[in-house]
Amino acid sequence: MNDRNRKIGEYIPAPDDDVIVCRCEEITKGEIRRAVHDGMFTLTEIRRYLRTGMGLCQGQTCTRLVKGIVARELGIRPNELREATGRAPMRPIEMCILAKDKEEKE
Amino acid sequence: MKRYDMIVVGAGPAGLCAAIEAAKCGMHVVVYDENAKPGGQLFKQIHKFFGSKEHKAKIRGFKIGEELLEEADALGVEVVLNAVVIGLFPEKEITVKIEEHVEHVKGDTILIATGASENMVTFPGWTLPGVIGAGAAQTMMNLHGILPGKRVLMLGSGNVGLVVSFQLMQAGCEVVALADAAPRVGGYGVHAAKVARCGVPFYLSHTILCAEGDDHVTGVTIGEVDKNWQVIKGTEKYFEVDTICLAVGLSPMSKLCDMAGCDMEDNPAKAGFVPIVNEYGETSIPGIYAAGDVSGIEEASSAMIEGRIAGIAAAVRMGFLTKEAGDAEFKKQKTALEGLRQGMFAPGMRGKAITQTEEGVAISKNLLEHGFVAEEEIERFPGVTHRKGIHPVIECTQNIPCNPCQDACPKHCIKIGSKITALPAVDPEVSCSGCGMCVASCSGQAIFLVDEDCGDGTAQITMPYEFLPLPQEGEKGIALSRSGEKVCEAQVVGVRSAKAFDHTRLLTIKVAKEYAMKARFFRREDAR
Repeated sequence: MNDRNRKIGEYIPAPDDDVIVCRCEEITKGEIRRAVHDGMFTLTEIRRYLRTGMGLCQGQTCTRLVKGIVARELGIRPNELREATGRAPMRPIEMCILAKDKEEKE
Repeated sequence: MKRYDMIVVGAGPAGLCAAIEAAKCGMHVVVYDENAKPGGQLFKQIHKFFGSKEHKAKIRGFKIGEELLEEADALGVEVVLNAVVIGLFPEKEITVKIEEHVEHVKGDTILIATGASENMVTFPGWTLPGVIGAGAAQTMMNLHGILPGKRVLMLGSGNVGLVVSFQLMQAGCEVVALADAAPRVGGYGVHAAKVARCGVPFYLSHTILCAEGDDHVTGVTIGEVDKNWQVIKGTEKYFEVDTICLAVGLSPMSKLCDMAGCDMEDNPAKAGFVPIVNEYGETSIPGIYAAGDVSGIEEASSAMIEGRIAGIAAAVRMGFLTKEAGDAEFKKQKTALEGLRQGMFAPGMRGKAITQTEEGVAISKNLLEHGFVAEEEIERFPGVTHRKGIHPVIECTQNIPCNPCQDACPKHCIKIGSKITALPAVDPEVSCSGCGMCVASCSGQAIFLVDEDCGDGTAQITMPYEFLPLPQEGEKGIALSRSGEKVCEAQVVGVRSAKAFDHTRLLTIKVAKEYAMKARFFRREDAR
């Protein structure tokens, strides 16, 4: 989805726009659809713009849903969209633990 | 830094099997799992597994988990629980959160067996408490002994939706309906049939329109969809429920592979974003393997074999096993895996409409559309025969990789042959002693013993029964048809239990003889 000139038409409000898609960050379907029309064509951009998948479950529930919504809006198949990058930490972790490496006793 | 010959991420069927194979060759193996209990999904599986006798068929899932854990333990595999792998870095270094700190550990080989997570669908009200994944329902009932709700609607007719529906009923819930947007039942017909005969209506081509309730689910409305998935007006149906269970597929949890830099693909045939692996389960990074659902959604039985293959491959790579010995092992495992990947539900068959079995018998349309084989369809299958006296009636109508029934009969009256997906046939020449071993051995609960004419105007039907409280001998009740509708009065004339039956009870009921081929389930009089 690198073609920034892709024409996707106007954002047309839909009756189910108020359905929450990302539960952790409380992002609705309408917000995601609007973000695509704002020019966010990749899942990484959507994630940075809206914080979908950045909450407690780390996208375990909504990744597939967001992908479907974005693909539909762009008029492509979901598997044409590259998944947002996987990074450490894979699971939510408290900063005080993340910063605490176990002392090695050699 | 601690160093292992092999680090396994995920103590499910694939991870444990890989660890076992690697440890057998003398490798020093550690398995990390983020959960408090090992075994992955196996410990939620209280039903008997399909497959071949050599690969733990007819053993209940949690038993398989226990066996694998014991085996791993005996071989010196370290299984670390509550250990969350949070990163996989170059040079095969992982960071794992254990208790209140982060450990850095290196593996000469790494197996990623992180499994999958449940898919969700959205509809108005889907965030209400009471809307849960089918896996969550299983965790609640089968691991923690908590009822998810009293009245449940299940969305999804794949094996997960069907198996969990049955387990919900076993736990004491009422399953008011099973809906699926697809026009055909997605899971094994035998799983559907055992749910249908308990009286659960199937609504294919139906989707959830909305969940009702203010602070929790109090009801759900479903509606029929047309070919373009649009809801047809006027087809709405409302059910009073407190729980909506979603069984709409799984997605591989492959982020760790992505982070490690493995080549990935988004492959609908594998149900999502997966690492690209070769025939040994090795990813594009030498020494990093992936097995089980993380590399493509399949059954636990294939995950176990994939795990074994990866474990052997790691042992060969590290020089713990010669290439020749490894090749011999691979051949064995691959043959088994290919066997499991055959039949109507093979990975390549997803979404294809099948009209005939391998034997050329027309498929039961009713089974696909309503969850049970219609009376006029059942006679054409090779397991359904008639004769004087007691004899087995095998209502197994699809080519699935499963064959324990073949070895169950001490007189060898059930034939499947060498092809594991073939439909079981009954040999009419062999007499039946009525021992019931075949009934208890069928993971699909599709075998009945029928005496069509006992001489006094009655017929007797012996069926597998896995509900509590157990009916008592002499008790009267109602015989239900394959569709779960009342057919006639019935009386329990026998309740058998044996160690070899593995908790499946054999219930024998007496009905008027004209119902011999109609009655397939028993409901106690005091039940709803």
